[in-house]
Amino acid sequence: MIGWLDIPRGWLDSFGEVARFGSRVAGLVYSGRTFRFFGEGLRQAGILILGSALVIWAFVFILGLQCGLLGAYLLRAQGAPAYAGLFSAWCDLREALPYAFGYILSAKVGTGIVAEIGAMRISDEIDALEVMGIPPVTFLAGTRLLGAWIAFPFIYLVGIGITYMASYISVVKQIGDVSSGGYLLIFWMFQNPGDLVFSLIKGMAMATVIVLVGCYYGYTASGGPVGVGTATAKSMVFNIVAVHILGMLGTVVFWGANPRAPIGG
Amino acid sequence: MAQSGALSRGAGAFGNLFTEVGNMMILTARTVISAVRPPYPYGEELVDQFSFALRLCWFPMLVSTFALCLGAPGLQAANALTLFGAMDRLGGFFVLAAVRQIAPIVTAVVVAGVAGTAITADLGARKIREELDALQVLGVDPVKNLVVPRFLALMLITGLLDLFAIVFGLAGGIITELLFHQPLGGFFATLFSNASTTDVWGSVLMCTIFGAIIAVVHSYKGMSASGGAAGVGRAVNQAVVISMVSVFAFLFVFTSVLLATHPELQSLR
Repeated sequence: MIGWLDIPRGWLDSFGEVARFGSRVAGLVYSGRTFRFFGEGLRQAGILILGSALVIWAFVFILGLQCGLLGAYLLRAQGAPAYAGLFSAWCDLREALPYAFGYILSAKVGTGIVAEIGAMRISDEIDALEVMGIPPVTFLAGTRLLGAWIAFPFIYLVGIGITYMASYISVVKQIGDVSSGGYLLIFWMFQNPGDLVFSLIKGMAMATVIVLVGCYYGYTASGGPVGVGTATAKSMVFNIVAVHILGMLGTVVFWGANPRAPIGG
Repeated sequence: MAQSGALSRGAGAFGNLFTEVGNMMILTARTVISAVRPPYPYGEELVDQFSFALRLCWFPMLVSTFALCLGAPGLQAANALTLFGAMDRLGGFFVLAAVRQIAPIVTAVVVAGVAGTAITADLGARKIREELDALQVLGVDPVKNLVVPRFLALMLITGLLDLFAIVFGLAGGIITELLFHQPLGGFFATLFSNASTTDVWGSVLMCTIFGAIIAVVHSYKGMSASGGAAGVGRAVNQAVVISMVSVFAFLFVFTSVLLATHPELQSLR
């Protein structure tokens, strides 16, 4: 039985380890040493697109519906149903989409990486890589980070479009308090290119952390088949807390002092 | 040729999906039946699992709800409300945001991601080590002795953690008010005039059902883990994806129904 303080203590412990491992991997990608295995990086990007994109978009779609629903009822309560676009514009782009992206990424991609690399560690394949003269951190972790950096910006941008569509469906088609033109007028009025870039930065920061955490827990897995399962569960604990902290920091930094809204003078 | 291969693979994936959903339904029915039919040998395990899940979840829960409520409905809404000079309205908004949405969402994500993955890893390890078969040989029913206590414990704890999440979500709102140098009286006044019993029981009921979904999906995936070292990890991965998507789909349906059937939630006081 675990103690009451084991989880916070374990989180702090692994925070340092993950930061060290992560900065090493990010350095390998940034300095271009991973480009030796560019083909493998492209393969990992392909795996992400074929294996995870549909799940991510489906999940993001549900959150978009939810944002639209809430916005429609909130603005109806305020007596301004025509302004439902205000709520869904901010909710979709600034908050719901980065969080939804972080949740589904830690569930699908993060744990998937732990299970994959952990199984390689348990069956001694990582040692075999080293014997063959291939640097395992570069080949396994670096290429995955490179693949994520290639694929996720595009998956995220398509996800933005999908949440917009979902909010439109739930506000205009399901609740139906506002006409299509009226909704879209307010909706686009509360958008600006800066917000899009900030939202993308938030989402990509989460994606980077999740991939690195997955690589770390997979790379350090030990204790047979059971150990892989435990490491997978642990990576999820780390990722959930990290996603929320990053989301809050992003909001504070990007929108904390400036609402970036076309209201007032 | 390649196209037909992709097609048959797609059809196979859909077939698998239906098989999995069917198996999970069967497991749900078996769990509910063996939970109510005597004897009840699972009392001790139930208490163990409850305290295990609570010890695992309290810290991620606290940080997550606080951070999410400070950022999303806190700062974003406070920015907009400051433009209108109506910061005291934040309390009314927090009923909608924190009680009705964010508390259940975070509870579901944390329970699925932390307690659920631990359950899958645990049951998957027992399956790989063939302990489940050994239990059956000994005449111990794994559903009654392992799945039922987890099912009941997770239902109970998800409902209760929801209240915990509401409290820490409101703490995020209070910190936002303080950051914007506002008196707290307006926040609490609009909070309590807008909060209704329906909101709270709706939130708790929704979370209880989330707990049931999470427990069944994660137990099923753990008990059907196979394939050596990669198997348990893969089971955890699939379980957490399936439970999150199904929980969020249920969230949307439940919120739609709750809001449409309780018009008193739609008026602002």
